[in-house]
Amino acid sequence: MAKEIIELIVNGDRYEVAVEPWRTLAEVLREDLNLTGTKIGCNQGDCGACTVLMEGRSVSSCLTLAAEAHQREIVTIEGLAQGPEDLHPLQEAFVEHGAVQCGYCTPGMILSAKHLLDHNPTPSEQEIRQGLSGNLCRCTGYSKIVEAIGAAAAKMAPAGEGE
Amino acid sequence: MLLPRFEYHQPASLDEAVEVLGQYAGEAAVLAGGTDLLVNMKHQAMAPSHLVSLAGVEGLDQASADGGRVTVGPLMSAAVLAQSEFIAANAGALALGAAVLGSPQVRTRATVGGNVCNARPAADMSVPLLALGARAVLTGPDGQRQVDLEEFFVGPGQTVRAPGELLSALEMDAPAPGTGWGYQKLGLRKALEISLVNVAAALSLEDDGKTIKAARVALGAVAPTPILAPGAAEVLVGQAAGGDVFKAAGQKAAADAKPIDDHRGSAWYRREMVAVLTARALNQAWARAQGQ
Repeated sequence: MAKEIIELIVNGDRYEVAVEPWRTLAEVLREDLNLTGTKIGCNQGDCGACTVLMEGRSVSSCLTLAAEAHQREIVTIEGLAQGPEDLHPLQEAFVEHGAVQCGYCTPGMILSAKHLLDHNPTPSEQEIRQGLSGNLCRCTGYSKIVEAIGAAAAKMAPAGEGE
Repeated sequence: MLLPRFEYHQPASLDEAVEVLGQYAGEAAVLAGGTDLLVNMKHQAMAPSHLVSLAGVEGLDQASADGGRVTVGPLMSAAVLAQSEFIAANAGALALGAAVLGSPQVRTRATVGGNVCNARPAADMSVPLLALGARAVLTGPDGQRQVDLEEFFVGPGQTVRAPGELLSALEMDAPAPGTGWGYQKLGLRKALEISLVNVAAALSLEDDGKTIKAARVALGAVAPTPILAPGAAEVLVGQAAGGDVFKAAGQKAAADAKPIDDHRGSAWYRREMVAVLTARALNQAWARAQGQ
């Protein structure tokens, strides 16, 4: 079947890409747009390594057809830092708290955390753990990740709400 | 694991969707959220040569109330249903089930229509919909028909939906004043879980705020399809709500269950848990019914 031209809005940039209908958003982000921060782990929606935001909500990009993302706003891990020296508060907190070991799960973890904080800026520890329930990490035991997200939330919260 | 090849169709209206589906009936699958379908295709458990996406059909992702009837669009996602105040007020059991389905990422994409059409015995949105007395509206080449959800499910993964038909809406009666809902899910872990047993309950009280006017209890993962527990409803109606009658209803529900032994749990354990979860779901429903 012929490729179809789709338009993706990724991290604010518009891309026109010719894709075969069976290609997933994760594949197109990595292979066509060279945005390899998005990882493919289990490739069946269990591990969360491929998590990106679509229209502000977290999705498994391995279970989303690229065609279904046509004209949708996508945010990947590459879209969070303002510059090489200007990390997003979540990224800073992950570094400061040692929440990154091998790093494979990190982009997905951070985007799930961003989804959580965008909808709930002051989550409890329980809510943070629930927010990460679709992301697996095989190195850290999660504690450092949960701490980092709590710290980032406190830093990002409007004045008066943080610690 | 790559997806097998297929042709992709994105009709712009319900009529067009039915037409495309009719054209390839038998070889086509309907793509809603894709969280089950695409996994099955990657595992090569299914290999439809055509996918008919509903993403371009307007109006399927809305809920509304009209003349005593509540309509839920099949493309509404679990995330939207879980957070919707309208659903919480008019079909609360569905919001409770949607909130605990899969993971946040799955909830963004998974739709209620997909959950119903996939007909898994433990489906987190189908079991609540049974307790709500929902009806499936099927649109096909010969027009529309309505099927009560208890007749819609035939077996695991099997429904009465014909290959050329689309689930175009889910409908139910608007809740009577003094109605509350409960949903209890038991799994081996707290997230991304397929239930060992799940129970949904709907309870309506008389004006006295005590006597049970109507009750429906639905059970998941204890039969080839989500099922109603008519025995439980029978012992509830006309009685004063409370712990003892809820326990009795739990025993009846356990008798209505037809569980099997499998890798998630034994039939004996499931039956015991049906009794416990039914009483809990009824307590939860009672608290909400009194709160109105």
